[in-house]
Amino acid sequence: MWDFKGVDYYELDALLTPEQKLIRNTVRQFVNESVLPVIRESFEEGHLPRSLVPEMGKLGLFGANLKEYGAGVDSIAYGLIMQELERGDSGLRSFVSVQSGLVMYPIYTFGSPEHKKRWLPKLASGDAIGCFALTEPGHGSDPGGMESKATKDGNYFILNGNKTWITNGTNADVAVVWAKLDGVVRGFLVEKGTPGFSAVKIEHKLSMRASDTAELYFNNCRVPKENLLPGVEDLRGPLMCLNQARYGIAWGAVGAAMACYEEALNYSKERIQFDKPIGAFQLVQRKLVEMLTEITKAQLLCFRLGQLKDQNRIKHTHISMAKRNNVAMALQIARTARDILGANGITLDYQSIRHMVNLETVYTYEGTHDIHTLILGHDITGLEAFR
Amino acid sequence: MKVLVCVKRVPDTGGGFKLTSDGQRVDTTNMDFTISPHEECAVEEAIRIIEKHGGSSTVLTLGPEQAQEQLREALAKSVNGAILLEAPDYESWDPAATAQAIAEAAKPGGYDILLFGNECADACNYQVGLRVAHWLDIPCVTGIKALEIQGNKAIAKREVKDGWEVYEVSLPAAFTVKEGLNSPRHPSLRGIMGAKKIPIEKKKLNKREPQLVRKMLRKPQEGRGQIEILGQGVEAVPKVVAKLRELGVI
Repeated sequence: MWDFKGVDYYELDALLTPEQKLIRNTVRQFVNESVLPVIRESFEEGHLPRSLVPEMGKLGLFGANLKEYGAGVDSIAYGLIMQELERGDSGLRSFVSVQSGLVMYPIYTFGSPEHKKRWLPKLASGDAIGCFALTEPGHGSDPGGMESKATKDGNYFILNGNKTWITNGTNADVAVVWAKLDGVVRGFLVEKGTPGFSAVKIEHKLSMRASDTAELYFNNCRVPKENLLPGVEDLRGPLMCLNQARYGIAWGAVGAAMACYEEALNYSKERIQFDKPIGAFQLVQRKLVEMLTEITKAQLLCFRLGQLKDQNRIKHTHISMAKRNNVAMALQIARTARDILGANGITLDYQSIRHMVNLETVYTYEGTHDIHTLILGHDITGLEAFR
Repeated sequence: MKVLVCVKRVPDTGGGFKLTSDGQRVDTTNMDFTISPHEECAVEEAIRIIEKHGGSSTVLTLGPEQAQEQLREALAKSVNGAILLEAPDYESWDPAATAQAIAEAAKPGGYDILLFGNECADACNYQVGLRVAHWLDIPCVTGIKALEIQGNKAIAKREVKDGWEVYEVSLPAAFTVKEGLNSPRHPSLRGIMGAKKIPIEKKKLNKREPQLVRKMLRKPQEGRGQIEILGQGVEAVPKVVAKLRELGVI
């Protein structure tokens, strides 16, 4: 494995603060030293590289942007963390996205002081793992149609329903579960081992194999009434969380694309055919140039998105544009890299095919490519196309 | 225990480099900067000594304003204080002048242990640590890969062919360390954010005339390597052995 130096054709590094660079370089080194040597095996065997969790906790990667309980890094530094993690693997970035954006963020933002005290230190250190349960078997792009219900019963809420495609599901010590209480979407903290709650691993995935994906079942699950997240009602809660996670995905996709581009570029300079490196052929050069150009454009989107976020000027549609563009770009780059790698590219000896199949998931989750298209379409025309 | 660890801001040449047209220095346009791997180990050792024996550690560099980046990285890893010897023209400072300035800055600190990289990653003069020790009139062990503090003495080990040279020195003493002494930690994000707030002590320096003048740098010809597959599995062994013999490795 060569020492990854990043892809920075437009000298964006010059716009980063020393802290942002040091944070990026720290995570980059962590990925080189600790993730890349084990990720292929994790992916092949289909499990989360759980041994990395304590080290990520020690580095402060969980909830890194939270002012309390986290290091309070700015949005660009947070994005760079996601970029470097996804350069390792989309599954690993997903783990951190969920832990940070979908579990710590809602507890921090909507939770009671007791919720924060009980969970945030453990989630920050990696001593506890969290998951976020919104999607249901019958409701993916349309979460408002959810069927999961909570009913009040004295000092308890009784949860019933199924959730699916839940990242970290079987490993989670706490689940942030969204269900309707008297017809209004509310968030509940459900602890592992609560009677009536079970998680089953989704098998036979050909994508995100290094990520734990589960189906969650709530069958007359009795949750103490104190576990209701007091600070939010209706879909605004989960959608605010998703904005955090989608912001990270926009950056993460750039990391996956950078890994594929680097791999294809290096390979094209070493692989000899017809007595010359394949990188000397015009067709390959064109592919490489297009890859680099798209990565550079995506980096610029991310950088500006980060500035908007830190200035509190960000709109969810800004995030939709970056998620939509960058993931589609990364998926295309992974496919092109796999193509440049020829037959070798179909093995896990190279990273590109792993990124390629992972990105099929990223293209779909956290708002599909098409849904983000419609969100943007609605924003610019004022006309809603999906309702 | 008071430990001083000295580092130097150098261009990160991992991704290749060019020289300036006058051949006087590495062209650092668009380049990242870092400290050398030996110095990373020196920083780590300073932190470990303090964790084990108590006291405080200080990181020092002679360099431009931007070298605060390297100081802050050490602070982020939990070094306690930092000193910048301001030398905007640091590229023209030779090892003798550098060592004298560091020795003068170190003297009032009353440090028990001074740590240096065995050589810096750019100029590789192998001189500063030794010269500082000379100026301060304290013992120095160079190129060490193990260090143990026992009261007011230290045991330092240098790796040699087929074994170790073991030195016992009384403190205060200076050591120049080599990569492999330890494995340097990563700074935590909290450490990085906290390091921003730690004040750096800045000292202005008077320009000293260099005794050592660099004529020019020359970049060696880059080898255009060609991959040659010698065979598969067991059948490749004799060819691999023959090639190693040809290269003088065995």
